[in-house]
Amino acid sequence: MTDQLTYPDVVSLAVPFFIAAILIELLWITTQKRGGRYETRDAVTSLIMGAGNVASGIALGFIAWGFFTLLWEITPLDLGSSLAVVILCFVLDDLRYYWVHRFGHRIRWVWASHVNHHSSQHYNLTTALRQTWTYTFTFMMVVRAPLILLGFHPALVLFCGGLNLIYQFWIHTEAINKMPRWFEAIMNTPSHHRVHHGRNPRYLDCNYAGVFIIWDKLFGTFVPEQDDEKVDYGLVHNLGTFNPIRVAFHEWVGIWKDATQPGITLRDRLMYCVAPPGWSHDGSRDTSAEIKAKHLEKHPQDRGSAGFTEVS
Amino acid sequence: MPLDILIILVVVGIAGIAVLTHLLGLSKPKTFLSEAQARTAWLREFPDSTVTSVTLCASAQAALIMTQAGPGIVWAMGADSTARLLNGATFTATETGLTVTLPDYGAPRIALRLTPDEALLWTNHIGAAA
Repeated sequence: MTDQLTYPDVVSLAVPFFIAAILIELLWITTQKRGGRYETRDAVTSLIMGAGNVASGIALGFIAWGFFTLLWEITPLDLGSSLAVVILCFVLDDLRYYWVHRFGHRIRWVWASHVNHHSSQHYNLTTALRQTWTYTFTFMMVVRAPLILLGFHPALVLFCGGLNLIYQFWIHTEAINKMPRWFEAIMNTPSHHRVHHGRNPRYLDCNYAGVFIIWDKLFGTFVPEQDDEKVDYGLVHNLGTFNPIRVAFHEWVGIWKDATQPGITLRDRLMYCVAPPGWSHDGSRDTSAEIKAKHLEKHPQDRGSAGFTEVS
Repeated sequence: MPLDILIILVVVGIAGIAVLTHLLGLSKPKTFLSEAQARTAWLREFPDSTVTSVTLCASAQAALIMTQAGPGIVWAMGADSTARLLNGATFTATETGLTVTLPDYGAPRIALRLTPDEALLWTNHIGAAA
């Protein structure tokens, strides 16, 4: 078996490229007066979140690695490391990413980790680096288990995950409008991902793709960017702080407060952990489905249009 | 990449981008140009609420919003804005205005730049509504 397989830590190697690309985008926006916005504290918070994500990976990565190593010892399969296997692993890991990302928006426990990526009201290359510090606690590493049990070496799976993350960096920009039509049809692009970061009712909970937008088209979650509806970035209820600690942990604190409040049932406590974000035992908050339904009450002409096709 | 080089790159990169954005004038807080704009910013966060009055402060960086659900504040968050109802809030007078402390981990504190008259007016409005 390919027990000693190693791949470079591509995300760390990409750090100089990330910095250079941010500088280029910043100067482009400043000189051209278009293509996005930057704000000092927002950008710094995003960058600190990125640094914290790398640090948490170093500190807690052994947990996922230990789990993957255990699976690798169990499985009798070994697909090796040929180029075809690398490509297949990359595609299947992107499918894995789609579902983890979808869970990240539909299960509050996972959203608590992912929410910080959506907490900026800006959309630029620094937003790409606004990454979670608490991914390990979501236990979403289990979604990678099938890949390893199928015979993809853990190092290869993590390598493909790193490439996936690097691909997603460049799509966090308003400086690029649309890519060629064939590219927009297959790949995740700045246009598709802008929609994903929208807090407009139309744009909630869609475009979960990492690299290939085909997964959203396949699973019915694709919403194209509308020329007549500009994306409003951020959270449904935006944060009132730039403190990275609060950005990283605010939803975990919210879960704790909700699930430990007095006078609710055990089921309610569980639902505050795993139900879609916005769920509440007394109906005092709105989930994305309820936000969309309320929008359609005010704007019935939008019924059936992009982003509102499955709202009852 | 060796960890020490990575750390240097990250620290210098963050500091450099922070300095550059600041020097490019990208640190200015948002100002609400009118009460209507403050109302729009409020409704962006609370689209279902019924606004009964809007009081924009002189610095134009915050507005007191009276709604049927109680008083709230919309304020500048960098170049953007956010808003909160004032349920459970406490208020402390400062030399530059008023500090509002909220029972909200994601929005723990609002530092309002208010004139003494505004601070008094806002406190009275909020107290009357409570």
